[in-house]
Amino acid sequence: MALSRVFVANRGEIAVRIVRACRSLGLESVVGVSDADREGLAAELADRAVVLGPAPARESYLNANLLVHAAKATACDGLHPGYGFLSESPALADLCEREGVAFVGPRAETIERLGNKLTARTIAIEAGVPIVPGSDRIRSAADARSFAASIGYPVLMKASAGGGGRGMFVARAHVDIEEQFERASTEAKAAFGDGTLFVERFVEDARHVEVQIMGDGDGAVVHFGERDCSVQRRFQKMVEEAPAAALPAEARALIHDAACRLARHLDYRSAGTVEFLYDVDRGEAYFIEANVRIQVEHPVTEEVAGIDLIEEQLRIAGGGGLSVAQGDIALAGHAIECRINAEAPARDFAPSPGLIDAWCAPAGQGVRIDSHCRAGAFVSPFYDSMIAKLIVRAGDRAEAVERMGGALDRFRIGGIDTNLAFQARLVRHPDFAANRLNTRWLEGVFMPSLMH
Amino acid sequence: MTIDRKEVEALIRLFERSEWHELRLETDGLKLVLSKDADAAALGSAAEAAVASAEQAPPGSADAAPADGLVPITAPNLGTFYRAPKPGVAPYVEVGQQVSEATEVCLIEVMKLFTPVRAGISGRIAKACVEDGEMVEFGAPLFLVEPEAEAAETA
Repeated sequence: MALSRVFVANRGEIAVRIVRACRSLGLESVVGVSDADREGLAAELADRAVVLGPAPARESYLNANLLVHAAKATACDGLHPGYGFLSESPALADLCEREGVAFVGPRAETIERLGNKLTARTIAIEAGVPIVPGSDRIRSAADARSFAASIGYPVLMKASAGGGGRGMFVARAHVDIEEQFERASTEAKAAFGDGTLFVERFVEDARHVEVQIMGDGDGAVVHFGERDCSVQRRFQKMVEEAPAAALPAEARALIHDAACRLARHLDYRSAGTVEFLYDVDRGEAYFIEANVRIQVEHPVTEEVAGIDLIEEQLRIAGGGGLSVAQGDIALAGHAIECRINAEAPARDFAPSPGLIDAWCAPAGQGVRIDSHCRAGAFVSPFYDSMIAKLIVRAGDRAEAVERMGGALDRFRIGGIDTNLAFQARLVRHPDFAANRLNTRWLEGVFMPSLMH
Repeated sequence: MTIDRKEVEALIRLFERSEWHELRLETDGLKLVLSKDADAAALGSAAEAAVASAEQAPPGSADAAPADGLVPITAPNLGTFYRAPKPGVAPYVEVGQQVSEATEVCLIEVMKLFTPVRAGISGRIAKACVEDGEMVEFGAPLFLVEPEAEAAETA
């Protein structure tokens, strides 16, 4: 049964984005906000806003019981978790299911299985998806050393329960193993409460590419092409684009096929992203992990595929199935997204919360801004520092790069520090224009170049 | 450095959420004194303090801010409000009843988890603001209390 009223269990730009998608589908929306967000744009645009609790996320956005209680008390029949917070919590998906609220995302079981990196690797193997040469669970530094010897250095020590780039350490030689094993194990225990580690090959010259998939939950799966998110700082994405223009055609076809196979294997429901590492030297792509939510960078896919992915999620959650077949999906042009953050790149990217006293956003053909901010908005110190996503689309990559540079120059945000100037220099770097990028370019090449 | 109205409002919001009791700021042409103390007038000139305390009320509860010295007991989070420990028994408190800080005044239920709310203030219950079984949001006034000192004065 189609949804009629959707509870938005998130904040910031994605909450605004979901409210707008609801409106265009003719659905009502109720946004659950913390005390700090009661005057935010999402609360203003939604049909109704309810204040869940105080500003700290654990007393508001991270409390599954509170979210589901609020959804039921406001007579919502669906709940969209956005990204971050509880979007990948099997407990929230399960609670929604038990309480008769449609969770706009995969089934709890799918979230649980793909959430654990070791289990996800097993599923990938079952589905015939290529994975990075790596170990099963390792119990000691000695285990790690003997496995590293078999696949060759450098190797990455990874937390099985990890995410967001935490719990990952590189060992370049035998002598590093002991120390990196201890560090990875300690961080994994502290951050995720689970010290389980595994080892995999560390690809030096790698691109981070990912495939956007969507499933109806009954075995039908389509993909909307891939994105390249190689520009990262400390494993955090800063610039994303679609398509991954540097990827050879065979590799592109391979990852599309592999992503769909993985999703079909799980009767995947809703939007998901299957991430791959493309080894430039070997010309091979390996599965890294699957993200069981809508992602920050989904707009670049929307721009080249001409589809609204959130609307598609809402239709699927309401039992409407997929609105498109693979043959209907045509990808055209090139799109780039820059994440605009309230932070000071010159001060090691320190967050810069405060009052935005001026906001003049670029507009025009092929320019899109997804944001919850405006002049007079207050950037709260309690949450993530992302204040906007600037997305441009053009006929080809060169035009898109050019358009992004101009749009960044015209974007004026006053009152707080932002990374606008940093992003403007980044997209004008000759390597970026030539698409000579890998996952270590930002920290290894671009940032050192700013020193001169 | 000049500060406009928006910035003052932002400062007030930050101050409200902080654990500070008092904030004083002086720049060209502006003297701002914020205090969570009811006797704030003593801090600066009476006019300044009045401006600050008037703007100090959180936006969502402005309409509930009692002008007659009554103090609200507010909801600690969103949930369903219950006046009695279980159906068919007497409410925790009635209007007119004396409460101390530790007195339990109601239950807030979140997904079948019932949490008692304590008065947090000594005085007399002057008003019950919410019907039994209604959903309340964080910060919503549940009861208005006539504080102890004033109760003594009027007695």
